[in-house]
Amino acid sequence: MTETRKLLERQATWQKRRAALTWPEKVHMAEAVRESAAQLSRARSPMTTGVSASRRPGTGEVPTRQTKNDN
Amino acid sequence: MKEVAELLNAMRDAGVISEYALFGAIAQMRYTEPVATLDADVLVAVPPPQTLELLKPIYEFCAARGHRPEGAAIRVGAWPVQFVPVFSRLTQEALEEAESADFEGIPLRVVRADHLAVIALSVGGAKDFARILGLLESSSVSREQVARLAARHGLADAWTRFEARFLND
Repeated sequence: MTETRKLLERQATWQKRRAALTWPEKVHMAEAVRESAAQLSRARSPMTTGVSASRRPGTGEVPTRQTKNDN
Repeated sequence: MKEVAELLNAMRDAGVISEYALFGAIAQMRYTEPVATLDADVLVAVPPPQTLELLKPIYEFCAARGHRPEGAAIRVGAWPVQFVPVFSRLTQEALEEAESADFEGIPLRVVRADHLAVIALSVGGAKDFARILGLLESSSVSREQVARLAARHGLADAWTRFEARFLND
């Protein structure tokens, strides 16, 4: 098995675990990374005065890869 | 988010809004793996008479409970919450047909996956397209369901373009 294949398998396992979380667990995970995302957003847009001021509704997310989950 | 759920239910019970439903990334996470997001988006219907200051009663209700504005949102616990009045027949339907979910023991209304996908299609940005792909990949909605709903809301051409760009070989 190549290193690349091992890496992809580890990644797939990790993604399945994340997708299997309950909705509240996923929201709590998003809460944990929200402040970091806000800091990154502020760093990219130094003129922005508020976290949400420069974006349209429903689009403030930074999508990650998504897999199956039917919570 | 529990605090947001309690606030939204109290706001509806007090008649400040006639109904609400989460949409955007927080709603998406009910169906897909988690995504990072800066805030929580809530569709709201406001009882008549509707004035130009549509959101004023919402802001007053929140202020009375100690929740302060933060940019275009209101900070509720850990989350800046954006209140978005329904702005189309599609969002009106999404609100009316939203599902009641359970968030750690608190009921919380959430827009259905097919409406989330078609709202994203109507907006049409890169992040919105990623949302549609995520919802399809999670099998929470099918291509046929999205196509039917998109057609009902005058978005058949947008869906055809999306399919050609992202789904067809």
